[in-house]
Amino acid sequence: MSRSRLALDAAVQSAGEVLARRGARYEVFARLGQTTVVTREADGEWRRGTTREVGVGCRVAAGGRAGFAAAAGSGARAGRDAAQAAIEAMVSDADPLPPRGVLGTAPAPPPAAVIDLEAQESFARELAARLDRARADLRLARVRTLAGASTTTLVTGEGFRARADASGAVVELLVAPERGPWRHFHFAAREFAALDLDALARRAVDATLLTMAGPGAPHALADVLLAPAVAAPLVVALAQELVRPRDDAAAPLRAARVSRAWRLTDQRAGPGGLLPLPCDGEGLPSAGLELVGAGRIGPPHTSWADAQRTGATAGGAVRPSYRHPPATGPANLVVTGALGASQARLLERLGDGFYLAVPAGPVRVEPGRLAFALRTAAVAIRRGRPVAAHPLVELRGSIRRLLAGLEAAGDDGEAFSLACAVTTPSLLFRRLGIASLA
Amino acid sequence: MGDDANLQLAELAAAVARARVPGLVDVYLERRADTCWRLERGRIAGRETLLREGAAVRRDGVFHSTDGIERAALASLLDLPARRIPPFAAAAFPPAPALEPLAAALPAGCRSVRWRWSWAVVVTTAGAVAIRRPPLAELTREDGVRSLSVWPPPATGAAPQAALEAARLRPGRHRLLFAPAASAVLVHELFGHPLESDAMCGGGSPWAGRIGERLVDLPLDVTDDPTRADLPGAFSSDDEGAPAQPRPLLRAGVLVGALADAAGAAALGVPPGSARRAHVHVPPRPRISNLIASVAEPTPDPPRSEAAVEIAGLANGTVEPASGTVMLEVRTAFALRRGERRRELRPFTLVGGLAAVRRGLLAAACPPEASAEPGWCGKEGEIVPTGAAAPWLLVEGLEAR
Repeated sequence: MSRSRLALDAAVQSAGEVLARRGARYEVFARLGQTTVVTREADGEWRRGTTREVGVGCRVAAGGRAGFAAAAGSGARAGRDAAQAAIEAMVSDADPLPPRGVLGTAPAPPPAAVIDLEAQESFARELAARLDRARADLRLARVRTLAGASTTTLVTGEGFRARADASGAVVELLVAPERGPWRHFHFAAREFAALDLDALARRAVDATLLTMAGPGAPHALADVLLAPAVAAPLVVALAQELVRPRDDAAAPLRAARVSRAWRLTDQRAGPGGLLPLPCDGEGLPSAGLELVGAGRIGPPHTSWADAQRTGATAGGAVRPSYRHPPATGPANLVVTGALGASQARLLERLGDGFYLAVPAGPVRVEPGRLAFALRTAAVAIRRGRPVAAHPLVELRGSIRRLLAGLEAAGDDGEAFSLACAVTTPSLLFRRLGIASLA
Repeated sequence: MGDDANLQLAELAAAVARARVPGLVDVYLERRADTCWRLERGRIAGRETLLREGAAVRRDGVFHSTDGIERAALASLLDLPARRIPPFAAAAFPPAPALEPLAAALPAGCRSVRWRWSWAVVVTTAGAVAIRRPPLAELTREDGVRSLSVWPPPATGAAPQAALEAARLRPGRHRLLFAPAASAVLVHELFGHPLESDAMCGGGSPWAGRIGERLVDLPLDVTDDPTRADLPGAFSSDDEGAPAQPRPLLRAGVLVGALADAAGAAALGVPPGSARRAHVHVPPRPRISNLIASVAEPTPDPPRSEAAVEIAGLANGTVEPASGTVMLEVRTAFALRRGERRRELRPFTLVGGLAAVRRGLLAAACPPEASAEPGWCGKEGEIVPTGAAAPWLLVEGLEAR
């Protein structure tokens, strides 16, 4: 990546030169990301691909005006284009840029080296082979593996410069059973070597078979045990509500009752989680931000500009791409579970209720009411044992209920790459809504 | 693009042909400009601009893409020395239009306005095809709901709904009246996605192998029409370079066609021309453009007195092919009584079997009306702009859950 990095540095430099000539305060953020993809679709053909996403984003402020623009590409032209467009985008607005004195980096675990196309393809083929021979009544409709690595540079007009590298590996499976809905599976890790082929194949087969066919579930308020794959999108939805500024729609959550079983942290610098980074999206040193713990909700995430208005502590900005300015949001969520709380023990503790095995769509959150809904495959549990499968149900409730209703978290944490990185174990909730969709 | 630029693109195509790149399918070049204005109480409170450009190369079983369209980047994708790529000029990024003259006429409760322009070229060994698409306008309401149209944005639109005061719909079966915006989403999910050739060929469509069969008793016509330049899904050529043509899908309720890219067209024996790319970093796939639904003799007025619930807007919908289940997320609906709206209803889910929904399309009213929904259409995370025009539809067979 060295030639690419030189081009990226040239883009940063040319953007800085354009903006410095205007006498403005500025920040230049450049990112180079490379992804390799190995896929086998339903036609059985293997396909390879690479994508290289590179560009520059500039924030600029002067004379009571501020603007943001970004341009794709590397090299001096991309930097000049982004800088010039940022100047043209300036409108009356407060200066959003943090001062040099608050910027810095925290120690973060180094990323793994994941871009090895041959190893990735070998992993994908081996996984496909295991699933192909697993069962006659299951068909692997798609396997896709993605390996991504990125390097970012953030430079300000006041002399701050930070670099951050990140990487990760993702596996996606689409399994078509002879009967019942097709199932999507998603697995993520810092590198493929951290993923156990046998475990992945077994989990996909077991979850698909477990929920292949069955009757509609009764509408009920029920106790539910969420597998990590079902818990993960709900944890992200919860975090997205909790990080909002206090004056936003989520303000009522601040007074919500909170289960003491919750320990949800945005571990921005690690050591846990899938995607630790040394600084936030504005260049403030990364820190662990507790969202829920000890029966309380932590403060919302705050950008530098919001912090100036509210007096809160900044450091909660994220920047997944050069294409957008920094915005507050969760980055590297980790739900801490209880040691020894295996899924089997949680099933015993569930008693009567439902085990939710695999999600069947995204979480929907209704603005204002903070109600959520998530389609998922379910298994009815009586006295800790499975008694019936329900291929498609909808888990319903409110974000408030999620906060209050957590009974226990398991010790089987898994990582997922969703709207942000999230690592969560199985979660046992009391009294959430189940509605049949079958 | 001037004549010189077109000549340069023709020379680029000739150079690509001379290079005899093994397994080459096509080269795709694209530029997109995107400006978003953030509004606060009708005043412009922020502005962001994004200038994107990139190139992609498809070879047999291989897809490579990069941001940037410099000759060196393109040469790298093609595994050629940069000197083998002749100089070429992309269309210049145009300046964003002024929003100020339009701001006063924007709908109340508008949080942001986005303008989007694009330019693209498909290069094959046979030549270069420029793709024209209309500039787009996206409005985002305070409640996060987005609507999409061709630029300039419409001067009127629905204000945010007071969901907190709405009533809950009794679960069960109700006779439903779908307004054009909701009909558009229903038709999109029932006869759009399932007729995309990758679903038809990959086992993901309930309509696979049924061309020539009657799918619905209602004499419904459905056509995918990328030539409707007044709608957001329009294009002059698809993203494989095939010229845009209206594609009849249903004629009087009978399945007559499919939406195909080149590979799907070969497999199904239908014309290509429906390949679209969400962006430069994904290969083209068969996708909906502008889906137009109509019946030959619609009733003149929406039959509110025959329905219990009016569905004004859907958040999304899905058809699960294996189980044949249709699921629709209702965002805006009203309880009807004696043909009048009585109260707004809270969001709910409609579920039904495919066979019941097909039988349950009872009547259509009014000529098709263009709607801002479904607008952005996602398929496995790949999002393209789509347009729609649909009539009012009277529907049975769906159950509120």
